Amino acid sequence: MSATTLPAPAMPTARLHLSYWLGAGALAVALILLLRLIGNEYGWYAGYFVLQYVVLAAAWNILGGYAGYVNFGAAGFMATGSYTTIVLYEALGLGVIPGILGAAVVAGLLGLGTGYLTLRLRGVYFSIATLSLSVVLQTIVVNWDYVGGSRGAYIIRPMEVPPFASYGEYIFVVMLVLAVIAVGIGRTVEFSRLGRGLQAIRDNERAAEAVGVPTLRLKLIATTLSGALMGVAGAPLPFYAGYLNPEGAFNLAYAVNAIAMPLIGGAGTWLGPVIGAVLLATLQQAATVTISSALNLWIVGWMLVIFVALFPRGILGWFRRR
Amino acid sequence: MTELTRRGLGRAALAGALTASAFPAIAQDSNPIRIGYSMSLSGGLAANGRSALLAQRIWAEDVNARGGLLGRPVQLVTYDDQSNPANVPSLYTKLIDVDKVDIVTSPYATAMIAPSMPVVMQRGMTYVSLFGAGVNERLKYNRYFSMNVTGDDIKGTYARGFLECTKMLPNPPRTISILAVDNDFAQRAAESVRTLAREYGLRIVYDRSYPPSTVDFTPTVRAIQAARPDVVFFASYPPDSNGILRAVSELRMTAALFGGGMIGPQIAAVQAQLGPILNNLVNWDVYSPEPTMKFPGVDAFQEKYRARAPQEQTDVLGNYLQPYAYAQMQVVEQALARTGKVDQAALAEDMRANSFGTIVGDIRFSALGEWAKERNLFVQFQNITDGDLEKYRKPGTKVILYPPELKSGSLKTPYGAPA
Repeated sequence: MSATTLPAPAMPTARLHLSYWLGAGALAVALILLLRLIGNEYGWYAGYFVLQYVVLAAAWNILGGYAGYVNFGAAGFMATGSYTTIVLYEALGLGVIPGILGAAVVAGLLGLGTGYLTLRLRGVYFSIATLSLSVVLQTIVVNWDYVGGSRGAYIIRPMEVPPFASYGEYIFVVMLVLAVIAVGIGRTVEFSRLGRGLQAIRDNERAAEAVGVPTLRLKLIATTLSGALMGVAGAPLPFYAGYLNPEGAFNLAYAVNAIAMPLIGGAGTWLGPVIGAVLLATLQQAATVTISSALNLWIVGWMLVIFVALFPRGILGWFRRR
Repeated sequence: MTELTRRGLGRAALAGALTASAFPAIAQDSNPIRIGYSMSLSGGLAANGRSALLAQRIWAEDVNARGGLLGRPVQLVTYDDQSNPANVPSLYTKLIDVDKVDIVTSPYATAMIAPSMPVVMQRGMTYVSLFGAGVNERLKYNRYFSMNVTGDDIKGTYARGFLECTKMLPNPPRTISILAVDNDFAQRAAESVRTLAREYGLRIVYDRSYPPSTVDFTPTVRAIQAARPDVVFFASYPPDSNGILRAVSELRMTAALFGGGMIGPQIAAVQAQLGPILNNLVNWDVYSPEPTMKFPGVDAFQEKYRARAPQEQTDVLGNYLQPYAYAQMQVVEQALARTGKVDQAALAEDMRANSFGTIVGDIRFSALGEWAKERNLFVQFQNITDGDLEKYRKPGTKVILYPPELKSGSLKTPYGAPA
């Protein structure tokens, strides 16, 4: 059976895609206007914090949610994006937008390499390999003086970017656009042949192979796409913080959240990672400035345990079952 | 997305209101001077972060007991940055834009201070940092001031005190080994000793770095032993410092001059654990209760600090960054008192122009905002027989060898395995 004989998507895609892009665009504009009305800088920074996780969770979901290949190395891919931005800044003085494009290319290539690992590694072995990849990348960065090594790298960002009122607003809007694109890509994947092929791989890779699903090709596309988007999620981070060191870039929180958010929201659906990311990241940000941020990972851990035990298909799965 | 974000912000506001109602003492003052900062109260930097926060709270209580600042009570507004640099920018925007603090001061350590800088610079806030190293080297922000003894030129000055101690040895040493952990401060320290070693006639026979995740130092210490250095320089962080010193003790390594820039032996818990292994270690430090460092007010501060440290579950001695955290706030206090208003430009101008009498001595800032004259202490642990911390409250246990103006004792040599 060839790829062309895969069942056609059940939904009328063109109209649905258009409605997504229009809806997401309107929501994004409404969000910007709302935050402008609130009129304080914290909204932009807290919003960035949440949106970076939307991108990261949507990216993880492409491989982990649809294809069932669990990537523990999200922090490594994200840091690849961050350090690509730093290299471009140091070498050519480029800003955040070229940094994002560069990060997509470099992290995408890294994802492609990871895809070839899936020739031999499946299940938990693939997960361990991605975790190791993150450790290897961190070791490289720590010993690479050009990007600051263990000392970290400084980015002197512009104070303002017209027509935006502040750099905080600018970096938020950049991340908002990336989030809309990342979720849109995830959604397109879900409703395309690629997504159905990946779901077949998740359910039974050998059976999928036997009925003609081009498994390697689909996995390579998925790992490349997922890697590129994770890199994109990390690319603006040096400009957001003005400084990045290896401990910050490869922080455990990124790897944990990248997995927890889609699982809690509903992995394998385009909306699940969005719900999970918005819920968990908002909760973490709120906990940081109210109760005690020491509770952050504790909250994530408990929510993960509760959802895996009681709602294994996440919030979306629970609603759909009802 | 809109609704949830709004809900998140609403939740923060609700919790803030609840906090204010739970602590009426905070809510009742209509117009306090609010000083905001984040501090690492969880994560890798928490041990020092928590003790710094206690010191700063003591300062606020002292000031309020004296009637406040500019006739207004002082209120500290703090958040936990979880030792994660990515959390810092949003916390500082919240402090400035939502909490509307009058003054911001820094978190603890370079990795946390650096990400706060763009936000602080954008708002033109005057900023006194705590234990940052070289943060302003590239940024050159003219309202940045650093509470750290290392000064402008870490490379040219940091290790000088240690190497000056070689002149106190009975026989001039000829070789040195360097081992440093892969992090900012340790690499700067290693760079400094590397640069200065030639000036002191020392040939480097071993020079390596190790990743922060290293747990077994036995092979490394054996390799250093094989190189037979006269002088051994380590630049390490806790818990590596413990691992290195335990390996050194087990392998019965000796050297004429042994120590360097090890972070860990300054902390009470580490001193209690290592006990006599610390004897004759010559190490970088910032404070020692020797007669030469009895600056006005430091005893009173430490008495208050030590009375509260056990219940706050933080460093029980307060012999490290704690007096500096208090002094950081004293700088803010004195600048506010002199300028008579909360005006960021005037505060910065005052800090640039004047010296500050603090519990860690008189301080003047350089053009880059660092201490105009560095004051890296090199102390030697002496007369330690056990892990009892009582002796660390008194002179004679951490003897100051450098700088000469604070010197309080003589070098004992060699460093060797304890009995």
